[in-house]
Amino acid sequence: MFMLAMRSIRQRPGRFLATLLSAFLGAAVIMMFNSLYDTAGQAGVDPVSAETLTTSASVVGGYGTLLVFFAVASTLTVNVRQRAAELELLRCSGATPAQLRRMVVGEAVAVALVGAVPAIAPAVLGGRALLGMFQDSGQVARSVDHSFGPLALMSGVGITLLAAAGAAFLAVRRATRGHRRRGGARRFLAYAALLAGAMGALSTFAFSATDAALMAAPAYGAILLSVGFALLSPRLLKGVLDRLPLTGASGWLAVRNLRRRADHLAGILMSLILFTAVATATLYMQAVESDAVEASGLTKSVEAKNLETLNLTVVGIIVVFVCVMLVNSLYAATTYRGREFGQQRLAGATPGQVLGTVGVEGLILTVTGLFFGTVAALAGIIPFTVVRTDSVLPDQGLGIWLAVGAIAAAATLGTGLVTARRVLRTPAVGAVGLAA
Amino acid sequence: MFRTGSRRTHDTEPAAEALRLVKVSKTYGTDDSAVTALDGVTLCLGRGTFTAVMGPSGSGKSTLLQCAAGLDLPDSGIVRVDGTELTGGGEAELTRFRRGRIGFVFQQYNLLDTLTVAQNTVLPLKLAGQRVDRRRTREILTAVGLGDRLGHRPDQLSGGQRQRVAIARALVTEPRVIFADEPTGALDTRSARSVLRLLQDAVRVHGRTVVMVTHDPVAASYADSVLFLADGRLAGRMDDPTPDAVAERLAHLGDDTMAEV
Repeated sequence: MFMLAMRSIRQRPGRFLATLLSAFLGAAVIMMFNSLYDTAGQAGVDPVSAETLTTSASVVGGYGTLLVFFAVASTLTVNVRQRAAELELLRCSGATPAQLRRMVVGEAVAVALVGAVPAIAPAVLGGRALLGMFQDSGQVARSVDHSFGPLALMSGVGITLLAAAGAAFLAVRRATRGHRRRGGARRFLAYAALLAGAMGALSTFAFSATDAALMAAPAYGAILLSVGFALLSPRLLKGVLDRLPLTGASGWLAVRNLRRRADHLAGILMSLILFTAVATATLYMQAVESDAVEASGLTKSVEAKNLETLNLTVVGIIVVFVCVMLVNSLYAATTYRGREFGQQRLAGATPGQVLGTVGVEGLILTVTGLFFGTVAALAGIIPFTVVRTDSVLPDQGLGIWLAVGAIAAAATLGTGLVTARRVLRTPAVGAVGLAA
Repeated sequence: MFRTGSRRTHDTEPAAEALRLVKVSKTYGTDDSAVTALDGVTLCLGRGTFTAVMGPSGSGKSTLLQCAAGLDLPDSGIVRVDGTELTGGGEAELTRFRRGRIGFVFQQYNLLDTLTVAQNTVLPLKLAGQRVDRRRTREILTAVGLGDRLGHRPDQLSGGQRQRVAIARALVTEPRVIFADEPTGALDTRSARSVLRLLQDAVRVHGRTVVMVTHDPVAASYADSVLFLADGRLAGRMDDPTPDAVAERLAHLGDDTMAEV
């Protein structure tokens, strides 16, 4: 089975590109931040510098690990789902479920390793740049040298491999088990996240305006709420679709497609909700905080600066990561629809109508994702603003939100339409015949 | 049952000639690796006829069907469907040409998995922006024996049932010509027979014109006449075919072309 795994990777490297990319990016982010632990652990680093470094490493490293798991899992799930026919063929040729599992997990681990190793060099450079940033702002002493040690290397490669193996295992188990419906655990987790998120957001009121940790409660509240929404996304999408009075051939087809494929599109909606919530909540809260500090006439402490750097870095990483994931999974999902598009065209759809359908689908996804992401973000922003200032809503205006929305819409619609256009280049008869 | 005059998408009366091909040629590939799939095929099919196109693999059957149905453009020659010439243009233009003139039935059904039986059936009307009448949808599906399966999805149906949905979908726009590409290729004999009867009914009862590509002599015997194709050229015609006569002729098709050389 291991031989088969290696052969299948060598024969079709393109199919593993998405997994490779997320493994590479994930490993790079994890190693970049965990190298700060190595740096802080060196002899002769003063306590203030060490604290700055370890705090950043633990906060962003934690996020990074979560994101890597999420990204690798989503690409592998799409990968395994698209190979259902191949796996079925192997099963008919006498492969046991355990053999299939070994094959898919073996492939995933190999691809993750290939992705993680070249990530070392950019991680070293990134870690050095990060340290330079902290030194420039005076948060870390100039005398501290960057170190890329065992901790960074082990955690980066280890977590990436573990995420790949775990995600592949779960995906193939789901695929070989047939279509059994479950999701009780998922729903429980979703409601738990929503409850914890709501409590986190409400607990903001227990802090005073000048508490250093004031931002933590609403930020985690917003993130947990968005995780809850993300876990519920197939149901949310179905709920939205039932209330859409769309007419026109493209709209009609789009709503029906989405309703049937709601479970498959959950990954894309999940990324959209998380992206919107985390980016909007963090950026607005940081803006409110900065303005409040400025208004009070005090200079920023090292702690406040740390927080700002961290916040912006976290948002930056999440934006890049989620965008890559969105583009990744949407590209894979759309490429896979060549046959379906061919069938629509043979039934009398013009290429414009097919693109129209893809566009409407993308629009519905974007709007749904933005809506629930914004709700989660507001749940964090409003309590924070009320406690920190005297108003209810931040006076920064809609600019940040519009920018976040524009990025989300551009990534979703752009990827979907550009990919669909490429897929449509195959003549309809050929596209239908390929998978037949 | 399928003909309700008010819903016509084109107002002119059907032309006497449903399909005419004049010196149609099509070559795939370039230079050294060029393969001539169709070599100057000329034929004319009258309205209300059921014609089978037969020939060995690689004889150009599928290319003939695709060129005649406006799915592909020939390199040279003229294609007329229902009296209107098929001219070049983009895919959108070809699609609009096919709407209302041409219906398809494929070996692999090509039903959309995300849509129910009823939704699949009315899809061509939806795409053409026409009003959809629920009662008529039920009527058409009842006529193909699926009146009680409107809400099912394709993956809940047998192969024969799926092909009957495909036929209902091909009939719903009241096209002048229905092209069927190996419609019974993936079916057992009983389902195949019911599908062939439906195609026959479309011609005899509803006056449609059916062109069916097949390699099965039994399927071909349901047609009014059989056209034989070999190496991209017409290699004969047989009226009122029987399975045995068709098989006999097919077995010796290679001999004729060899003798010609």
